[in-house]
Amino acid sequence: MSGNDINRRDFLKFMGLGGAGAVTLSGCDMPTTVTLEEGKEEVVSYLAPEEYVIPGIGVWYASTCQQCPSGCGVHGRVREGRVLKLEGNPDSPVNAGVLCQMGQASLQGHYNPDRITKPMVRKGGNLTEVSWEEAIELVNSKVGAANGKVAMLTGAMSGHQAELMDTYLAKIGGKDHFVYETINNAVAEAVNAEMFGSAQPRYNLDKAGAVLSFGADFLATWVSPMHFSQQYAKFRTGNRGVLIAVEPNMSLTGANADMWVPAKPGTEGVIALGVANVLISKKMVDGSVLPVDALATISQYGVDKVTAETGVGGDVLVRIATYLKERSPSLVLAGASAQSNTGGSQVVAAVNALNILLGNVGKTIGAEDAFPVKSLAPRRGSSAALAAFAKGADAGDYEVAFIYNTNPLYSAPAGLELNGKLAKVGLKVALSMFPDETTLAADVVLPLASPYEDWGTQVPGYLPSEGGLNVQQPLMRPLYSTVKGLGDVLLVLAKAAGAEELNQYADFYAYLQAGFAAMPASIKGGMSDAEFWSKSRQKGFVAVANSQGSLNVKVGDLAQVADKAGSDFPMHLAPAARAGMYDGRNANLPWLQEQPDPITKVFWDSWAELHPSTAAKLGVKEGDFIRVESAQGSLEVQVYVYKGVHPDVVAVPMGRGHDEYGRFASREKGVNPLKLIGGDVDAKSGELALYSTKVRVSKTGRSAEMPRLGGSESQVGRRLVSTVSADVYRRTEGGGNNVA
Amino acid sequence: MLNIRIVSKLFDSGMRVVSRRRGLMALLMACCLGLGSGVAQAEVPNAVAPKGTHSGEHVPQPIDFPHDIHADINGINCMYCHTYARRSKVAGIPPTSKCMGCHSVIATDKPRIQQLTEYWEKNEPPRWKKVHDVPDFVHFTHEKHLQRFVFENEGMNVENVDQVCAFCHGDVKKMTVAEKTKPLTMGFCVRCHEANEGPSDCWHCHK
Repeated sequence: MSGNDINRRDFLKFMGLGGAGAVTLSGCDMPTTVTLEEGKEEVVSYLAPEEYVIPGIGVWYASTCQQCPSGCGVHGRVREGRVLKLEGNPDSPVNAGVLCQMGQASLQGHYNPDRITKPMVRKGGNLTEVSWEEAIELVNSKVGAANGKVAMLTGAMSGHQAELMDTYLAKIGGKDHFVYETINNAVAEAVNAEMFGSAQPRYNLDKAGAVLSFGADFLATWVSPMHFSQQYAKFRTGNRGVLIAVEPNMSLTGANADMWVPAKPGTEGVIALGVANVLISKKMVDGSVLPVDALATISQYGVDKVTAETGVGGDVLVRIATYLKERSPSLVLAGASAQSNTGGSQVVAAVNALNILLGNVGKTIGAEDAFPVKSLAPRRGSSAALAAFAKGADAGDYEVAFIYNTNPLYSAPAGLELNGKLAKVGLKVALSMFPDETTLAADVVLPLASPYEDWGTQVPGYLPSEGGLNVQQPLMRPLYSTVKGLGDVLLVLAKAAGAEELNQYADFYAYLQAGFAAMPASIKGGMSDAEFWSKSRQKGFVAVANSQGSLNVKVGDLAQVADKAGSDFPMHLAPAARAGMYDGRNANLPWLQEQPDPITKVFWDSWAELHPSTAAKLGVKEGDFIRVESAQGSLEVQVYVYKGVHPDVVAVPMGRGHDEYGRFASREKGVNPLKLIGGDVDAKSGELALYSTKVRVSKTGRSAEMPRLGGSESQVGRRLVSTVSADVYRRTEGGGNNVA
Repeated sequence: MLNIRIVSKLFDSGMRVVSRRRGLMALLMACCLGLGSGVAQAEVPNAVAPKGTHSGEHVPQPIDFPHDIHADINGINCMYCHTYARRSKVAGIPPTSKCMGCHSVIATDKPRIQQLTEYWEKNEPPRWKKVHDVPDFVHFTHEKHLQRFVFENEGMNVENVDQVCAFCHGDVKKMTVAEKTKPLTMGFCVRCHEANEGPSDCWHCHK
């Protein structure tokens, strides 16, 4: 066939046609059941469309993601009146155009088939659908008779909804608004407020040459992950910064680190003081920036003591200290595993002292920008709030409790015994989208519009520079005519409670518009009310001027709290937070259930990470079920054997194992590690110590294949990715031969 | 091989399709499948109309919209009402406001128009039933097809756009409510793509 321009593909086609004499593409002529459909689906035109609307072509609107408290700006593509896709808002100071998997999957919350569509009231023990009028009337009558014994239990809140909730609470004589988040930064906020005079100082990872993270998973779950991942990208480009992670089990951030050091939860402070000790004793830094008491404490944490208490060797401490010093300014962060301990405040104090010693304050740690309108400021979540609510409920302080955007019956540690305490509240009103554990235990259920059907504003809990008030605007009309937005419900309740100043607002939209008109001129920037309102919705946020203050450094007692010894329960439990399931709120989103965990690659199920040496002692291998027991209870879960976990730690991620949360959560087979956790708290801040629980691990004898993507951890000698051992790399600084 | 080349050359001369290979293909298809010569219709230059028919069901619609009165008797261009076809993946049902643009004055005594006016006054568009559909995993775009066969097609008179629409929708201007007269299967699409040198990568339609 040389010299002929018939190529192989045409030849095959020719052979197919002539040779067989049959019809090619015959399979393609089989009408599918879908193509056969005629006259089944409806196609509805616009009545009188806006001029810019073209069916089939999306229009993008700005709004704000509500999937976690960091407040990322989104652009939603709307086609034929439906929101189809979200992307990060490129102008947003929080996320600068990126959006995490939880934000992407939030559309599955909006379109979730398990959404509650009608108000319900408990009648004869069962939740029964009623009209809005009947539900609101019942709430109003009970609130009216409660004589101020009313509590609000919500997730992190801010903006105009929070302002309206305050107005309502004040009107009915209640004073308790508990803001509860399982994944929070509350211990650090308390300590920072004391040591820096700023609860949530601004971190500049991009200006640091080295970052030492004690369990701060800033790429996935800590404080404002999308914001920090943008900073991290800058930190790693150009003069590449060094990331060191010290944590009980490897997080996504830890997996990206140049140096990963396993640590038992609660010993991070000892390691931090050990590093400080090395810095001072090797004269790498001037110790005089710290008070004499603090220096005396640090001098007690010599290398030998630190190694004895934590197992971290002196060479590691010296290398960490050297990185931090040589690449100054550096940044040291404390995340959940470091904070959420009985001595958590002391760990954070040690971490902050290390920052002060390294001269990072004012360079990589700056003062926060307080949002100028106080009534809209963020109410950041804590778990101490849940403990306080439980205590009040137990004491019979509340006739009525409103529960919004939180699911404490799932996420409360077993040690809090919330089920019994919540039952003592006379009327539990759940403002909710989904039938989760808490909603189904409520007496009144008010179905809320999804975040993409509702109006609102948010001030992010971590306010980046040029950040401000995020605008949450509906991306489409509610899927169900019988749901209401949070603001609208609060407005109706507050008006009924006699808040006459609100009578001028027909709905929450009007309230919000008036709220924007009432903003100080400094925020409006010379725009007219109408222009400001329209620009704010267009951009998706209102920037505030950067009022960069300075931090007032004050160092107190740094002594670390010793770990409770106990032979019955020798291992530490790490209820690790992962982007995806997060605190359990995302278990009803199939995309996130299906997304393999970035470390273990498990999906639709829970797992327990065990170190190979621990697994060998126990006689278990991957896929074997182990029993994890604490003083509170036990659970059985499959083992993932992995070096990225401390030998004395068993890590079971939180977020799965729901009793109630719709059809998707009921399909997964996971377990909830929070049900093993006792009621221990950090003494100083009152925060629940999620990482202080000790457990016992035993073999069950059962085994099954693990539901995970990718069967092999080895390249089987194929050199798909060339690697060198850490030792070789250290000797050659990566310049040696690549050895597979 | 020589014979085939000669035949294909002869065939090429009678075709407006440019490539010899495509000519060969068309010829082979013509011979083996008995599909006829594939000569383009006069009104649509540089095109081979797709072959294949389908006998669709009659789909009852909320209003018996007469395509024939509009497009045939009154000679209204398809794109006057289906205005989105040249700009978007979907052709779109004209907005009710467009119907009322004429029918607030024209034929107001006819029962179908009174039915339409009722919808308009209730602020409700009629809920039409979809006649032509492809599965969700097929990405079809009207815009690209109209560009190829109408707007970027040399010698094409835009007045004859109905001939292009007819490729896939049949002779709608002779119908009252639309009926499906073309199979719209993958084979139907692919044969037309081959004959007209349309893209043949899987991801063009399955993305």
